[in-house]
Parts: sequence; C-alpha cells; structure tokens
Amino acid sequence: MDWAGWALFGLLATTALTAVMIAAQLAGLTRLDLPLVLGTLTTADPDRARVAGFFIHLAAGQGFALGYAATFALVHRATWWLGGLLGALHVVVALSVLLPLLPGVHPRMASHRAGPASTAALEPPGLFALNYGIQTPAVTVVAHLVYGVVLGLLLQAR
Amino acid sequence: MRRPSMTGGPAGAPIGSYGLLGDTRTAALVSDDGAIDWLCVPRFDGEPIFGRLVGGAPAGTFRLGPAGPATLVKRQYRRHTATLETTWAVGGHRLTLAEAMVAEVGGRLLPATLLVRRLTAETGPVDAVVEFDPRLGAEHRLPRVRHRRRAVVCEWGSLAVSLGCPPELTVEPGRPTLVTVVPGRPVTLVLAVARHEPLVHVDPAAAWDLVLDDETRWRAWSAEVDQSLPFREPVVRSLLTLRLLTYSPSQAPVAAPTTSLPEDPGGVRNWDYRYVWPRDASIGIAAFLGVGKIHEARGFLAWLLHASRLQRPRLPVLFTLYGRHAPRERDLAGWSGYAGSVPVRTGNGAAEQHQLDGYGWVVDAAWVLVQAGHRLYAETWRAVRGFADLVARRWREPDAGIWEIRGDAAHHVHSKLMGWLALDRALRIADTHRLPRRQRQRWQRERDAIAAEVRVRGFDPARGTYVRSYGSSDLDAALLVLPLLGIDDLESPRVHGTIDAVRDELSAGGPLLYRYPPGRDGLPGTEGAFLPCSFWLVQALARIGRHTEATELFQSLLEHASPLGLYAEEMDPATGAHLGNYPQTLTHAALIQAALAIRDAGQPRHHPTPAVAAEHRPDH
Repeated sequence: MDWAGWALFGLLATTALTAVMIAAQLAGLTRLDLPLVLGTLTTADPDRARVAGFFIHLAAGQGFALGYAATFALVHRATWWLGGLLGALHVVVALSVLLPLLPGVHPRMASHRAGPASTAALEPPGLFALNYGIQTPAVTVVAHLVYGVVLGLLLQAR
Repeated sequence: MRRPSMTGGPAGAPIGSYGLLGDTRTAALVSDDGAIDWLCVPRFDGEPIFGRLVGGAPAGTFRLGPAGPATLVKRQYRRHTATLETTWAVGGHRLTLAEAMVAEVGGRLLPATLLVRRLTAETGPVDAVVEFDPRLGAEHRLPRVRHRRRAVVCEWGSLAVSLGCPPELTVEPGRPTLVTVVPGRPVTLVLAVARHEPLVHVDPAAAWDLVLDDETRWRAWSAEVDQSLPFREPVVRSLLTLRLLTYSPSQAPVAAPTTSLPEDPGGVRNWDYRYVWPRDASIGIAAFLGVGKIHEARGFLAWLLHASRLQRPRLPVLFTLYGRHAPRERDLAGWSGYAGSVPVRTGNGAAEQHQLDGYGWVVDAAWVLVQAGHRLYAETWRAVRGFADLVARRWREPDAGIWEIRGDAAHHVHSKLMGWLALDRALRIADTHRLPRRQRQRWQRERDAIAAEVRVRGFDPARGTYVRSYGSSDLDAALLVLPLLGIDDLESPRVHGTIDAVRDELSAGGPLLYRYPPGRDGLPGTEGAFLPCSFWLVQALARIGRHTEATELFQSLLEHASPLGLYAEEMDPATGAHLGNYPQTLTHAALIQAALAIRDAGQPRHHPTPAVAAEHRPDH
C-alpha cells in the first residue's frame, strides 16, 4: 500500500474532480454544486458553505482514494484504465445510492416527501441527481472517470 | 344532484364547482358530487390517474357520494384548513363527505401521497356509491388489479395505487360499489400512491387521525397571518391555496394544478399550467412577506435562485418544479377536453420566449426582502446583478410580453416599465450591497433611458395613457402595476390617466377587466376577463389614494369567487363562470396583494432605511 501516494494523489484527484464539476457548472451543464451541497451540512450561508464544503469534499475524496489505493495494492498494479473502471463503479454508487440517500441525513435538504413544515432549502437531487439538470449524470460520470484515471496514472508513475 | 346552469365538464360540472385537495406535492380537484376528476401523481406535473376533467370517462375518476338523487346542502373547507366537507340531503337524511390529502408525511412510515375520504350519515342510513376507476397517463392505461386484505391495489409498473377500505366493502375498479352509511359508523377510504418504492398501507382510522393532525397544523399556520388584515378570511383561503400549490420539496409555486381547462370553452385556448413562472414566485414573495410568512417568502426566492442557476443571467419564462426546462408542448391524442375544448396539451411552448418583464418581478422581489430588513447573500446579489446587467443590455429589444403572445415580438410598454423596475430596484439594493461604480452608472444611465423612451414612444398624450406597445393604440391591463413602480409620481396625470383609461376601455362589466382588447392575440375564439388584472386595479386604486373605490371593487371581486373561495385565471363576464386553469396561483397572489394594498393605504408608509437593513443578518 502506497501511503504517501494515497495522501498526495488523493488530494490531486479530488481537486481534479471538483474542477471538472465547477467547470460544468459554469458552462451551464449542471446545478450540482458538491461543495455547496456538502457545506450546507454545516451552514446555511451559500458562500461560507462552499468553503466548508470544499474541505469536506477533499476529505471525502481522500476516503474514496483509500479504496482505490487498496484495490491497486491488492491487484499489484495501478493503471489509468483500472482507475477508470473504479471511477465508473464509484460514480454508479454516487449517483444511484449516495446522492439519493443524502436527503435522509442532510439537515438543509428537502426530500420528495417534504411537507409544509419543512424548513429545508436545498432541493433533493433525486435518482442520478437528475433534479439538478438533465446533463448532471453525464457530467458526474466524466468527473469520476477523471478522478479514477488521475489516481491510476499518478500511482502507476510511482 | 342539482347542477348550476353553466355546464361543460364531466357530468356538466362547472370549473368553479370544483374544490381543491392538496398536500403541497400534488393536488386533486373534486366536484360537488364527490368525484375526483383530476389527480396527477406523484407530483403536480406527473401523469394523471384521474383525468376525467379534461379526458372524459376513459381518463378515470374516483367518486364517493350519494348513490341516488341528492341535493347539495353545504360545501365548505373546515375553517383555516385544507379539509373539504360536502353535505347532501338524501331522502330526509344527510350524507357528509369530509376529505383531505395528508401534507405532513415526513419522518413517519407513510406514503408520499395519501388521500383520505370519509363518509358520515346523520339521522338515518344513507346509500352511497364508490366509483373507483384509475387510469394512467395520456393513454388511459388500465391497471393490473389485485386484492389484498382490506385494500385493492392497482399497478402500472413502478407506480402502484392502493385503496384501503372498511372490511365490509370490496371495491372493484371500474365498477360502482354500493355501501350503506349508518349514523355513528363512518366509512373511510384511504388512497395511497407509491412510485419507485413499496406501497405503505395505512389503517383508515389512523389515516383520519393524520388528517386531524394536519388540520391542527393548518390552523396554527393560518393563525400566524397578520390579524389586522382587512378581508382576512378570503385572504387566508388564498394563502392556504397558494401554499397548497407550492411544491414543498423545491418550494416552487405551480401556476395551477391543471392542464387545458379552457379560456374559451369549446375553443383552442387550452394550456398546460403545471409549471412554475418566476413572476408568480416573485409576486408570492411579496404576498407572503406582507402577511408575515417569512419562511414561504424565503423559499420562493431560494427556488428562483436555484432554478435559474443553469441559464443565468437569462431568466427562462417558466420551469418545471425542479427548475428544469419545461417539456415541449404537444397535443394529447384522444383526449376529449373540457366541454370539448381541444387540444388538450402537455408541455408549454412559452418556455422559449424572451420576456423582459420577468426580470423586473424577480429583482423587485429581492428588493422587497431587502426593504423588509433582510440582507442578501453574496450569491443572491451576484444573481440580481446579473439580471440587472442583462436588462441594461437587452431592454431595447422587442419581447413576447407578459401575455406570452405567440406571434411576432413587440416593444411592449409593460415590459419596458418592468425593465425600468429591475434596474431601479437593483440600484436601491446597491445602497446596502457592494456594487462597482461603473456598473452603478451604467444601470442609472439605462434606467433613465428607458423612462425617457417609454414616455415618448409608449405614451399617448391625446388620451393621457400609456399604451400596450410602441405605435399601438391598444391598452394593456398589465399597465396597472404603474403606481407600484415609482417611475412616475403617484399624483402624476400619467398614472391616473392610465388607470382610468384601462378601467374604461378594458372593462368587461362590473369589476372585471380584459387584459387587452379581445381578439388581439392572433388566436381563434375569445377569452374571458382576466382576474389578476382586476386585483391589480384594486391595488392601483388603493395605491393612488382612492381607498373607497378600491375597497368596493375588492368586495365585488370577492363575490365572484367560487363557492369555496377559489379563483381560476379568467371569468366569463356574461355568466360569471370561471375559465382557464384552476385554481390559479397568480390570481390568488394578486388577491392577497390587493388586500395588503388596501391595508397599507390606511396606514403611514414605513420603509426601513438602508442603515437599518444593513444591520440585519444575511439570510437570502
């Protein structure tokens, strides 16, 4: 297990993933704003939330990178395509499990069952995060493939 | 059943005879003979499972009411709740149907859509009938039916609907089932809907308790409304209607829960209103804020910002409940339409239009919040600046206008005025929020340019009134917002002249107004009087100090409400029949604002100073 590689490259891969998502947002492709979604776990102010969310996202990315690094260690190889495969698996879980489950734990995210007493402000992402724009699944897939490929390439290089 | 004279829909039910049941996620329309003729699931813009209102018998219905001849005795909402009660006289006895959808289902094992209907009899047993005939979607698909203990379950793939019944009752979809209701032994039916999740069956007694819990919550919600409001009862009903039509998961106010209820019975003016217009949300912000409902006002602004995120600074004319692009407009083949009004449409073609006025409504809503002492988040202010920049850049272009005329774009005076409003309110917000000097100067320059141009090209000095568009002699009832803007002084002859001219020339009789001269929209057929305009007239009169006139007009308009206090978009001036999609968010929001204007006309105006506003916490 390459602990130093995991520590450094996990951060780099997560930054790359975040950059893809932000670029897609700015290009008007999706309303999924991961730093905002995660940061509003801690504050309602969108600007502060984005800062907090960026660091939460880095930490989460580091956690996922541990799984990638462990898998590379297990199969004794790290390649870009293996990283991409893991990225594909990762994004399926993120879109079909993690994001749809988020309204259950997020204090500021409504669920599709929200009623008049709900004070939540963020819309629920829905299956495949489609509520944040029809191109959201495509953008998210690309971002996670980038994440996996970056990790595979960088860990391969070591 | 006795029926009012105007006929049209299923079994001749007038649009205004329908009651609204809602849970803030979707809504049902129920006729005064107990038939739910419209219900889309799981959301306002989902597929209908009961669509008889515009699809005829093949589109399905769910009737619960007297089995034989009956006379409607009383129909009302339980005070300050969303529970509807209908009482019939049947052969010397009385039968009452109480019904509601359960709004609060969070945190408990309950279906997201839960409709509860309870029949009770007084003085003697009464025969009632259950007609349960759900059909799904555009093709009226029949369900796969299975019976389980105390429920019949109808399935269409991932969608399932169950009807929970008392043990003595076995309901077969598509066939009438008779049941005798005995005094002291109510019959409760529970409709539960599940999509992409397991059905949750709720015991009828427990379901009724949920309705009672909701009633308590709605009463508490209503009690928070400013007690000093004039005409408080109809205003509270409008607020409840507005809230029931607000989709809680995203805080988006749907324009109406229906599609294709006709503006011209038998004609083609049938549109799908199950979408969200930023204009409605903006007016709703002022309406809710005016009665002290801060949370709802914040929710609308949050939705506006979230929904417009992808296309900012462009503000689309309308969105879906989740802020997506509205589906393309198409006709539903085989749908007979209300009173033969075809086509029945889904989707809305206005989504592609450029309407300058939308920016004015939205920026003004942000200003209303700032004026009330709330500071905008930096992100919100960025969005507002983007809208103002776009107006400064594009106000010289023609647009489709507030009435979404589907012909060539024109230089609509109302649109220009709303562009002025966007820049003016953005400048006012900038008094307490950071703005680069050059940007401020550009907004000031363009705002003044709009005012100068409109006063020359959009004003008819001979008649002393603003007109509908440059070079036109037509008037436009949307110009009644003039006294709210501040572009001209309230005492200005331009303001008074425009109000009087609109009232005279666009009058449809009594308190009713046409929105523009009939027949000037390029569509075949005619349309009714446009109800929000009448409430705007009340607001305008109150604003310019004609308080008595405004109050009398408002009272007269209240007499035009449906028996349950609801309003459609339009009204037939000859018969008083409600026309168009129903009930209508814009009409109810305009009613609330008119009442607020009457209240404010009797009070000294107070605006928080910028310094006061700046001291408040940021929360938008």
